[in-house]
Amino acid sequence: MSGNTSPIRGSDLGFKMTRRELFIGAAGLAGAGALLAACGGDKAVGPLSFGARTVDESPTKQLKALVAAYEAKTGNSVTYNATESNAFQNNLSQYLQGTPDDAFQWMAGFRMQFFADQGLLVDLSDVWDKIGDQYSESYKIASTGLDGKQYFVPQSWYPWGLHFRKSMLSELGIDPDGIYNWDDFMKMLDGMKSKGLIGFAAGDKGGWEAMGTFDMLNARINGYQYHVDLLAGREKWTDPRTAEVFKYWEMLVPYMNDNVLDLEWDGAMQLLLQRKAGAMLMGSWFGGNFKEQSDADYEDLWIIPFPEINPEHKRDTIDAPIDGYCVAKNGSNNDGGKDFLAFAGDMEGVQAMLDTGVPMTSANKGQDTSSYDAFQTQQLAVMAEAKYITQFLDRDTRPDFAGPVVGPAFQSWFKNPKDVNKILESLQAQWDALPPL
Amino acid sequence: MSSSATRPRRSRRRRAFSRGDRLTLSIFVGIPTLLHVVLVWIPAILTILLSFTYWTGINFGDITWAGLANYDNIVTKTPAFYDALRNNVIWLLWFGFLATPAGVLLAYQIDRQIRGHKLYQSAYYLPVVLSLAVTGIIWNFMLRPDGFVNGVLGRDIDNAISFFGNYDINIYVIMVMASWRHIGYIMLLYLAGLKAIDPTLREAAAIDGATEWATFRKIILPAMRPVNIIVIVITIIESLRAFDMVYVIYGTSAGLPILGILVFQNIAGEGASMKGAAYAVILFVLSIGPIIAYLRQQFREDVS
Repeated sequence: MSGNTSPIRGSDLGFKMTRRELFIGAAGLAGAGALLAACGGDKAVGPLSFGARTVDESPTKQLKALVAAYEAKTGNSVTYNATESNAFQNNLSQYLQGTPDDAFQWMAGFRMQFFADQGLLVDLSDVWDKIGDQYSESYKIASTGLDGKQYFVPQSWYPWGLHFRKSMLSELGIDPDGIYNWDDFMKMLDGMKSKGLIGFAAGDKGGWEAMGTFDMLNARINGYQYHVDLLAGREKWTDPRTAEVFKYWEMLVPYMNDNVLDLEWDGAMQLLLQRKAGAMLMGSWFGGNFKEQSDADYEDLWIIPFPEINPEHKRDTIDAPIDGYCVAKNGSNNDGGKDFLAFAGDMEGVQAMLDTGVPMTSANKGQDTSSYDAFQTQQLAVMAEAKYITQFLDRDTRPDFAGPVVGPAFQSWFKNPKDVNKILESLQAQWDALPPL
Repeated sequence: MSSSATRPRRSRRRRAFSRGDRLTLSIFVGIPTLLHVVLVWIPAILTILLSFTYWTGINFGDITWAGLANYDNIVTKTPAFYDALRNNVIWLLWFGFLATPAGVLLAYQIDRQIRGHKLYQSAYYLPVVLSLAVTGIIWNFMLRPDGFVNGVLGRDIDNAISFFGNYDINIYVIMVMASWRHIGYIMLLYLAGLKAIDPTLREAAAIDGATEWATFRKIILPAMRPVNIIVIVITIIESLRAFDMVYVIYGTSAGLPILGILVFQNIAGEGASMKGAAYAVILFVLSIGPIIAYLRQQFREDVS
């Protein structure tokens, strides 16, 4: 809490840390072997509770398997509480200040650092002493708070990229590997359109989905550094370079479904699943949803990096958010929470989740990548091409800006793309009006 | 003229309270008052104070004075505020000129026992037992892109009618949904009042040859004044405090900005700031202002 005296500098530091150094070279995931350090397994910690921030079928199956494996190993009983993810996010402040679960699911980066800084999370440095050698340095950085201690244990990550069905592209006679730059991409979209299909499935009813598109366009057009600086307030939304992003975005609009503001991410996914749309920019987490539908649908799914726009920046940046767990300080059993996370972060816990058969790209180095299916291997390849890794707009900028300001601004842009200058001016004005951190 | 006469009488009566009476009275008045102050007034006053500060809502030590900055931000820099204001005004006008009169009309017709009145009564009453959140869930099932209505029309999600996503019409879609419940609610209130009206009044009017409309306007409406006040106040409050149904459909995204959502969006979750408190104060003033003005005028008329 001592950081409160110089809050602005503190948060600025946070930005630099999360973004610049944030697991550059995270692609070094590949190292197989080197499993199982001594795992948690303290039997005396007693019953604890775990808060999941999902009610979806696939992740629930994984988390329940994790909990069951922990219970079987240690004999500690775990109460499993699940909350729908938006509701969980909205209530997190109150949750952490009230009577939270001992361990809960959360996200790395700014969002974790904020609550750690407020003293609501438990220092997990000793958990990292146990499991740290199973993670590459980049993950440790992403799990570290502004005070240099770890407050987070990573579970999994997923890249944001262009997803499509291989079968649909081959019907068009397009080789996915041939889609490298914007022109290739446009050619694909035209191909889809000429067949009466939606080229680029989009949904933004939730207000956050389109942020991924902005991230990628901005990074491709203006580069990683500009993107990071813009989100940290060091560049202006009114800069013509920012306006350029919307020029490209507008080129995509004719290829989008008409009801962007009526669909949430899963609606856009349905368009792809039902073969009504050719491509979608989204995080790869939804592979599980395809698999729920059928194995054939899952095997048809493919991802490539978002196409190059400015040759200077190639395809060097990717949004790859890390999900994981924290321990709540106000929980009744901090030791229990830590013990559980030591297990969840250990390869043994990860393996219990993988054994469910639900695809997951774990953050743990120990995950045997030779067992990856083709889609997961491709995710690694997409990741490996990127030099810079960002989390996601709403994890990389101030929460009081991302949700209440950027989300609605992008929605109003979809309503009328011609208003772009007005919207950007308003974004900048609202950034300038934010209270000092 | 009566004040000089009542005052001594009142004080005489107070002296007649026994100790037991006083104890009972202080418990019966004291506890609710205490609860009211603790649960309503203190949070309200704190919200007003906090709306002049910057704070993330976690550590008290982080509160810093902001003056009018939050209000300035809302009024001069936040386009969503004016969208929300517009939507709340549409809500109020719609309720005031369509839904509430429809409820009154329905109550009047049912009270006259038109054919099938039992059916109408239960059909319109049914939604009232549902909370607004449940109403929202039901309508969401009906109208979302993969919902019932689009299904019946044979539309898939790629060409579904965009009930919630088309910003030109979505407020009216929401208004239909909200009216579905509001009409029944007003009908119920009004019906209860109508039952209490002496039927001879109406008979007398009929004998004097008054038309239906004249009877309603000249006899029923004035006789229903206490209920009218309640209905008007409820209409204003319901329109301004609207939140649940919109939240169920849009969450905290700005799909349909209304003031209630803006309060929540800025005070819940990680983005918590006292801008949310400032929205709450604005909403409070907007709701309480017209109601106080209206009630004062009504009571003044009563006194004279």
